[in-house]
This record gives sequence, structure tokens and C-alpha cells, in this order.
Amino acid sequence: MTLGSGAFGRCRSGSGLAEVSRGEVKAAGMGARLPGLRRATAGPLPLIAPVQLLVLGVIVLPALFVFWLSFQASSFGQSPTFVGFDNYLRVLADPYFWRSVGNTVVVIVLAVHPELLLGLGLALLFASGLPFQRLLLVIVLAPYAISEVTAVAMWRFLFDPDVGPVTMSLHSLGLPSLDWTFIPWHGLILIGLLTIWLHLPFTFVILYAARLAIPKELYEAGLIDGASRFQLFRNITLPLLAPAILIAMLFRYIFAFRLFSEVWLMTQGGPARMTEVAAVYLYLEAFRYNSFGTAAATAWIMVLISLLLAAGYLWRLRREMTLHAH
Amino acid sequence: MRTDRLLVKVGKAVAVAAIALWSLFPIVFIVLSSFKPGRDIFAVPPKWVFEPTFAHYLDLWNRWQSFFDGLANSLIVTVGATVLAVAASSLAGFAYSRHRNDRLLEGSVLLLIGSRLLPPIVVTLPLFPVVNALGLNDTHLVLIILYATFFVSLGTLLMRVFIDQIPRELDEAAVIDGAGRLTMLRKVILPLAAPGMLAVAVFVVVFAWNEFLFAFIFTATEAKTAPFVISEMISSVDGVDWGALFAASTIQLLPVLLFVIIMNRFLVAGLTAGATKG
Repeated sequence: MTLGSGAFGRCRSGSGLAEVSRGEVKAAGMGARLPGLRRATAGPLPLIAPVQLLVLGVIVLPALFVFWLSFQASSFGQSPTFVGFDNYLRVLADPYFWRSVGNTVVVIVLAVHPELLLGLGLALLFASGLPFQRLLLVIVLAPYAISEVTAVAMWRFLFDPDVGPVTMSLHSLGLPSLDWTFIPWHGLILIGLLTIWLHLPFTFVILYAARLAIPKELYEAGLIDGASRFQLFRNITLPLLAPAILIAMLFRYIFAFRLFSEVWLMTQGGPARMTEVAAVYLYLEAFRYNSFGTAAATAWIMVLISLLLAAGYLWRLRREMTLHAH
Repeated sequence: MRTDRLLVKVGKAVAVAAIALWSLFPIVFIVLSSFKPGRDIFAVPPKWVFEPTFAHYLDLWNRWQSFFDGLANSLIVTVGATVLAVAASSLAGFAYSRHRNDRLLEGSVLLLIGSRLLPPIVVTLPLFPVVNALGLNDTHLVLIILYATFFVSLGTLLMRVFIDQIPRELDEAAVIDGAGRLTMLRKVILPLAAPGMLAVAVFVVVFAWNEFLFAFIFTATEAKTAPFVISEMISSVDGVDWGALFAASTIQLLPVLLFVIIMNRFLVAGLTAGATKG
């Protein structure tokens, strides 16, 4: 069962497209010259207006306002006053900010890279054929449906230091467990594990679809030339999967970078602000300390890092789009 | 050679078991535990055979009425956000699919893609006072708009991919038959693009039903969603009531889990198209 193409194939045949097109294609050639067609397709603006208004009003304008705010000193009951780069300097001089950035990087390194390896391994395993493959695919997707909140409830209980079944089992085997309520490092490991659990379905699907898109003939040709399994992997699978791996990695970097709920609900950034990540730092600056200027500066530092992470991806997309247009 | 094959088979069986355990164990454990009598929840080693009870569900009903209000709120917000996001994305997806060489449109696609990269927490900062000033704080509407907005860009790009597969000749034929643009969209394009709309719907439903950050910041009592109430149960000051928490988690996760299982083909199609094309 080929899934990636299967999904599309099924959609297409299920849509009844073939039946509709049968009689009507003949008329197509004349369409471009008919005045009615011009009227019917003129003006895409009303069609894109709802989407653009939502994005402009809820994302773009607020982001620009945050940019303006990041150069002001501002709190409740205080009218904003221009302070230049003060907020940026204050944030960059704040050890808590650097710790939150450090923790974000730790979670990314700790979670995203193992997750990519796992996802790649799973994709190759699925591509090689497994018993009950369809059922297994649904099982792998299952965590995608789970809320961060319920996931935290599950993992907090499983790893509860006093009553958690995983903790108890590890202890009874004489193994050390995660003392995540006291040791910040352990808290980050638990958050990393939880993140992998929640996002592996995404990474896996991207890599599996890309693996299925590699033509079988390449492997057959390789086998005829006497290539070993490892050589097939090294010279066919890996280079052809590279773009998908890169895309999955970028998406996961960007999403791991905005990590909030898991950390907030697991440790609240504690103990002693030791497990804060960037989004938690921003939240505390804005909604606990009411320091809107520095929160805005933090926000723009996050935006800039996200854009930097994505620059390569956007550039590639842009190139593809211009190729498409010509 | 023979032993090699056997080894591969055994290896695969082990891998399959490990995958299933990793993905399902936390879910199954919490769902089962919600039916365990209080003393069995903490049994070491965990009990797999027990006398099922609805005690925790009753408890939840009696002591956490807000959770059930939260479920109703989640349902309203999810339906609202899904309808809004799918409708807006379909219209825009059609426009982007059929007007490929329009420079202005191309620029606005980049804006859409760029908007996806922004961490959502960034916009909470300026929106919070605006939402307050408009009197929208703690309403369903604010969550519906936020949830829809954070998926219209992906939704639009997905719809463009799906509508690209519908031959333009069909639009032209409909117009020759005298259909206006909206009729053509409704009668010809959208029925054929239904799989795309379902793929978009899966994303929005899962996101809106499960989201925490926006609900946490923009709602307080009236529009509080189910995940928000569960988060309060997690950080309850008198210690966590695990039984009620498991019952609530089970009620919250089962509908969306079933939904994802039923719609898994559309989810996979959406994830694939979303990552590679947009």
C-alpha cells in the first residue's frame, strides 16, 4: 500500500473528476476568447480578501505594532515613551533571557534531532513493508490528535516522582529515574521526550511521503549494478530524501522555537526559572511583570530568529514559484 | 540466508511492537486508568485487570462542572473556526490557483507564508489590549478568529494545490454555460476540491479543539475551553485529583482521536502537500 500517493490518488478518483470532465473539455479551447469568461474570472481580490484581512489584522499589523512597541518604555497606566534600543539592550543583558534561549536550543538539539532520526528510521521501516502496515500507520499518527495539555497530564503522571508507574518500574529495576521536579536538566529531558512524542507523526509523514516518491526503478537499477543495501541507502535514498529532511528539520526548528504549553504546564519554567524557554520568558515579561517594551523586544528577537531559520526555505520556495510561472 | 530472513522478520516484529508501545502506551494507560477504582490507579506494578468503575466520571461531573462548560465552548469554537478557515481558504486557494501570473498576488502569497513563521505568542502582546477595548475578551468569537487566522495561510496553500489539479477547462465550460463566478465555484470547483477542504478541516479541528496558549490568555470564565480547564486540574493547589483528571482527559481526547483515525488519509495528504508545496 503506497500511502503518500495513495492518499492523493484516492482523493482524485473519489472526487468524480473524470466523469465531469468527459463531455466538457471540447468547449475549452474557445474559452479564452469569450467575453463572459473575462468577467467571471476578473478580480481575484474579493476572493483573497477574507484570508488577507484575517492575516493582516491578526498577525501582520500586530507584529508591526510590536516592532514599534519594542522601542518604547511601556507598562500599565504609563504612556509609551521612546527609548531607542534600550529594551533590546536590557533583554540582551538579562541572564534569564540567555538561559531561556539556551534552554530552547537544548530542547531543539535534544528533541528535534533524535526525532528526525527516529522519523527517518520509521519511514524506511514502513517503506520496506511491515505487517499490519495500515493499522500501524494510524497508530503512529495517534499522538497527533492529542492536546499538549492532555499529553502533559499523561507524562506528568507516568513520570511522577512519587507515584508514576514509569518511575516506579525504573526504581524496581534498580535504574535511576527523572527527578524532574527538582533537577532542571531532568525537567528539560522530560519536556524533550514529550515534544518528540507529540511531533513524531509530523516528521514521520513528511519523510515517509518523500521516501515513497522515490521511483522503484532506481533501486532496481542499483541492484542490477550490484550495489549493496548500504550503497543503495547512501547513494539513492539519502540524497533524494535530503530536501524532505531539510524541510522537516526547518519546520521542527521553527515549531520547537515557539514551545510554550508543554513547558508552562510541566514545570512553569521552574524550579527557580531554570527551565524557561524563550516563549515562557516572553509571557512572563508581558503578563506577569507587565514590562511590555522588553516583552516586545523579546518578541522581535524571536521573530528575527524564526525568519533567519526560515530564510533558506523561503528562498527555495520563491525560486520554485518563479520556475513555475515561466 | 535463511537465518538472515528470520532475523529481519524478528527485528521487524520487535520494531513494530516498540512503535505501538511508544505511540499508544500513554494514551491507553490514561484511558484505562480513568476506569480504575481509586486504589488501583497507583498500584505498583500497574494493574491491567480491574473492576471498571465510572466513579471518576461522576466525581468529575459533581466537582468540575466547568469542564463540561469547557467542552461546549471547545465545540462552538472548533466548529466556528473550522467553517471560517475552510471557507476563506477555499476562496483564496481558488484565486491563487487560477491567477498564476499576477505579481501582486504572488507577493501576497509570500506574506501568507511569512505569517506562518511568526510565533503565535508574539501577537498576544498587542492583541490583548485591543481585544479588551473591543469587549471581545472571554468570548468565543476571539478564539474563532485567532484559530482560523493561524490556519488560513496553510489552508490557502493547500487549497491551491488541490484546486490546481482541477482542469481549468471545467471553469471555462461552466462560464460558457452561463454560470457566474460564485455559481461556478459552488457547483464545479468546490465539490471537486472537497478532499482538500477536508484536509484543511482536519488541521483546524485538531488545532482548535486542543489549543492552549490563546485560550489561556484570551478567556477567563465564559469562553474557557476544555484544555484550559484540564490545565487548571493539572496545577490544582490542593494536589492533583488524578482520577478526575484522567476522566476529563479521556473525554477530551477520544472524539478528536477518533476523528483523526477516520480522517487519516486526509491528514497525511494535507501534511505532505503542506510541507512540500507551501
